Amino acid sequence: MSSHLLHTPEGVRDIYGEEKAKKTAVERLLRQKIESYGYRDIQTPTFEFFDVFSKEVGTTPSRELYKFFDKEGNTLVLRPDFTPSIARCAAKYFMDEDVPIRFCYQGNTFTNTSLLQGKLKEVTQMGAELIGDASVQADAEMIAMTIEALYHAGLSDFQISVGNLEYFKGICAEAGLSEETELELREYISGKNFFGAEELLDSAGVERRDRELLLKVSELFGTAAILDEAKRAVTNERSRNAVKRLEKVYEALCEYGVEKYVSFDLGMLSKYNYYTGIIFKGYTYGVGDAIVKGGRYDSLLGRFGKDAPAIGFMIVVDDLLAAMNRQGVAVEGEEACLRLYYGEKDFHDKLAEARELRAAGKRVELLPKQ
Amino acid sequence: MEKMSEDRYLTFALGKGRLANKTMELFEKIGVTCEEMKDKDSRKLIFVNEDLKFRFFLAKGPDVPTYVEYGAADIGVVGKDTIMEENRRVYEVLDLKYGKCRMCVCGPKSAEELLKHHEMIRVASKYPNIAKDYFYNRKHQTVDIIKLNGSVELGPIVKLADVIVDIVETGSTLRENGLEVLEEICPLSARMIVNQVSMQMEPERIKRLITDLRAHL
Repeated sequence: MSSHLLHTPEGVRDIYGEEKAKKTAVERLLRQKIESYGYRDIQTPTFEFFDVFSKEVGTTPSRELYKFFDKEGNTLVLRPDFTPSIARCAAKYFMDEDVPIRFCYQGNTFTNTSLLQGKLKEVTQMGAELIGDASVQADAEMIAMTIEALYHAGLSDFQISVGNLEYFKGICAEAGLSEETELELREYISGKNFFGAEELLDSAGVERRDRELLLKVSELFGTAAILDEAKRAVTNERSRNAVKRLEKVYEALCEYGVEKYVSFDLGMLSKYNYYTGIIFKGYTYGVGDAIVKGGRYDSLLGRFGKDAPAIGFMIVVDDLLAAMNRQGVAVEGEEACLRLYYGEKDFHDKLAEARELRAAGKRVELLPKQ
Repeated sequence: MEKMSEDRYLTFALGKGRLANKTMELFEKIGVTCEEMKDKDSRKLIFVNEDLKFRFFLAKGPDVPTYVEYGAADIGVVGKDTIMEENRRVYEVLDLKYGKCRMCVCGPKSAEELLKHHEMIRVASKYPNIAKDYFYNRKHQTVDIIKLNGSVELGPIVKLADVIVDIVETGSTLRENGLEVLEEICPLSARMIVNQVSMQMEPERIKRLITDLRAHL
């Protein structure tokens, strides 16, 4: 026997037995909650044309995509996430629809990164998208649904951190930053790298007042009280409206009764180019990165020919499970399986018994007597 | 919906050696002490300050960002060189201003000419990622990078490489071996890094720590 046949490539793995049962159970619980909000399942292809995930749409850097060619020489890509596919679908099949559409999905995604040792290249994502609704209520629904789904799955110690890209963009516009500087600054501020931002702004010759303001953004995170501070700090209309929006979303979240899971971070600036306003991430102990990522992407559908606002989120199911595992959260796996043994003579009876139990919804394994 | 997480320890990973000592000195200034750590004969791996619910452990420099990325430590103190080389997803929140030195391209004087053109050269370094980023993305020069694990200065002397990329403090080792600094890549110093999740889960505690430290720098 050749032992190399037994190995899987780096970054992918088998999930079986108890672990798979737990994963399925968690997926079921998450899905229950999402479906209870009226979201309908959608399935998109595992691979699509490169352009769907290209730089302009802005999801994953091209070098981290798994690419290959079809017979005609088109470049195909294994999906690195779902949102662009869903946006494409919505634009294609619901072009003339004006009522909001609600989709949910689940499936594996693929990113070819070797940099993050210990990170899987194939992970299961579950998420939802609400298309055609630009309201505060839509923002709140998404965030509240995320919280309820995580809680329903069994997680209790987590935070959803909410930001609004418009706040930062308003200040940048006021300060008249070049696009290049803004992009670099975004990197520093989302990394909470205060002094890196400081150096950059010094070398870019930004005015003192704008400089202080931009630097302050990296410190504007914490409880809802931070919103007051954020509002007081700015005078430009765009940033003020961004905070007002967050306040309204917070009010709505209080209506849902989930506010204790919510904090704010105005320095949260996604590397995904498609996010436009509200943006949020879910954090819990046990994994180093956010287990939930979501936000508003009001211009993405326009790329596919349908102008419609949209907001969505996705949960990295594998990371959620890892976190629950490390936190010692019990997950109810599968129901125990009954075992019936048949001998040479009583197969007929045992089979009848097994069939009866199965019809009653029990799990029965039929085995020959040793 | 109940929440726990009161009384959780904040765990610090400190890069072994001078950096850790300097860091504890700084922490003492803001009232964070750890008497256990001063006992040189101790064989303990983890040191605790029960009053503040802080825990400290020492780790090899390059491992510090790894501990912090995965949340095994909430906060780490390590050199900028390690952060750049490891490229982990952590918040880099504070320049602690000590452990200052520079990341440089060094070699014999004769190699200076090689850096002015775009021809292929060989670069030896303990920091292949930093070297690659510098030559590819900033200098746009194609290079062949050779990873070495120590005494990198040997590289140009025994003609393994044309130049090296390494940390320079005083430059005395270079001079003794007939090498010099040809180009500076960036200044380096000790940095404080924070796990993304910890920052979001315990913003008040960590923010207070950062503010206190910043006031003493």
